[in-house]
Amino acid sequence: MEITFAVLLWGVRIAFLVLLYLFLIRVFSSLQRSLATENAVAARPIGIAHLVVQRTVRGAHRVGDRLPLRAVNALGRDAGNDIVINDEAASARHALVEFAEGEWWVEDTGSTNGTVVNGEVVRSRERLHFGDELAIGRVALRLEQ
Amino acid sequence: MRAEATAPLGRARFTELSLLVWVAALAITGFVAVVATERSSFSPAALVVPLVFLVLMLALHVFLVSIRFRGDQLLLPIAAGLTAIGLVLVQRLASDLLFQQLSWSIIAAGAFAATIVVPRDLTALARFKWTWALLGVLLLIAPLLPVIGREINGARIWIKIGPGSFEPWEAVKILLVIFFAAYLEEYREVLSHSQRRIGPFPVPPVPYLVPIVAMWGMVMVFEKDMGATVLFFGLFLAMLFLATGEAFYAVIGLGLLILGGFVAYQLFGHVQARVDTWIRPFDEDLRFDTGFQLVQGLYALANGGLFGAGLGNGMPDRIPVVWSDFVFDAFAEEAGLAGALALLALYLVFVYRGMLIALRAPTMFLQLLAAGLSFIVALQTLVIVGGNLRLIPLTGITLPWRTAGHHSSRTGCSWDS
Repeated sequence: MEITFAVLLWGVRIAFLVLLYLFLIRVFSSLQRSLATENAVAARPIGIAHLVVQRTVRGAHRVGDRLPLRAVNALGRDAGNDIVINDEAASARHALVEFAEGEWWVEDTGSTNGTVVNGEVVRSRERLHFGDELAIGRVALRLEQ
Repeated sequence: MRAEATAPLGRARFTELSLLVWVAALAITGFVAVVATERSSFSPAALVVPLVFLVLMLALHVFLVSIRFRGDQLLLPIAAGLTAIGLVLVQRLASDLLFQQLSWSIIAAGAFAATIVVPRDLTALARFKWTWALLGVLLLIAPLLPVIGREINGARIWIKIGPGSFEPWEAVKILLVIFFAAYLEEYREVLSHSQRRIGPFPVPPVPYLVPIVAMWGMVMVFEKDMGATVLFFGLFLAMLFLATGEAFYAVIGLGLLILGGFVAYQLFGHVQARVDTWIRPFDEDLRFDTGFQLVQGLYALANGGLFGAGLGNGMPDRIPVVWSDFVFDAFAEEAGLAGALALLALYLVFVYRGMLIALRAPTMFLQLLAAGLSFIVALQTLVIVGGNLRLIPLTGITLPWRTAGHHSSRTGCSWDS
């Protein structure tokens, strides 16, 4: 009786360590899986859409430049953005242009001077159609195929 | 992207649920091992506490599913796993504190739910940044007040209200992260894009430097508590560096910290004692004196070896105040190097996940918030585990068990917003 209890107890102790590692392995595999899916989504090419520069300032892009879009694009003056708008009137993190539910969307990410689509200030997140003109600072961009 | 990225994992949060099942298995085996060793018999009554905890975690999971929360699915299980191991260790080392620990878990779970439901927009927190700063300072001073302050083991860092006592700086940390994030978001440009430069270093206008110097001054005042000093100042420097991208600030800040450490070593006897103990704990005059705790901790590690003495089978009672300062050594003795490494790996994933959330957060404030909260878990773990392993001088802070749940909530929350 005593012996079986001691043996069982050791079984439980060893099981604890084994379970700890199984848990850890599960955590790592979930981590790896979620990273893989997220990377796949972010890198997925979305048709062939571009932002074409309509109006610009010195030091920024040139008129007529075609900037290819990904699924999610950060726009702003900060070098970490996908599309860097080199204009003092643009905020460091100005806006997001993203492809979701089969549509293009623009979202103002707390810019100082606002994001303007076809002359109207973007309140939070709005649809962006092909041909729409997006103004960030003094730079204007048109969404094209 | 946010919606799409989580969609393959399912709105049902299967990942989270399946990981919680592992946490449940872990918690129950841990309790069975510890209780059975202690009493040489086993009755199911001993499983009440872990079961209450597991039901709580399951309730949180159901809550997240029901509000269609799209945040991270790994943080809750990892925090739950760490808290479960924490509960097992409390049962092992100080079972009279078990209910207190459990009630902290319940409070943390409540706070978790509240942070998700209440502020629909976390950015609103930034508007009250001076309120948070003031509240933080008041909480820091509170233990020095006569009625509610308590001195435990020589450090006056506790408040006692009614039956419960707690260390206010557990809350101060979070308030400070919110304040720093809001402050740095606002003045980031001034601090990083300064026109005046001396050599490679930016020299921002003097008024903007005041809070940095004030922070340093404040930390120096509380210098008596080394662990808290390193945590607060380290957190501040990390967030300053993240916000400005200027290594200059980090270098200068580290210089100030080293200078402060040197001054503290000269001024305070207890700092000298800590450093001496760290450098030569085995010396004749220290081994049974100030070095006793550390030496016993090291013996515990040695006794543990690769796979440990078995949960419940070690001799953690040999280490004085083991339940507050040397939990890591106690765990390493009973679960071995293998168990200790797994534990550290869990902390690592937790912090990594938090940093990942920070990278993807939409605004500067939320980025700094998530990064700051993750960083403080990392730094706290580093300082205490390093102290227990005699890599750095020992300081009196605890492993972030109970706060883990709290952090995960905030970071998870900013991911969603």
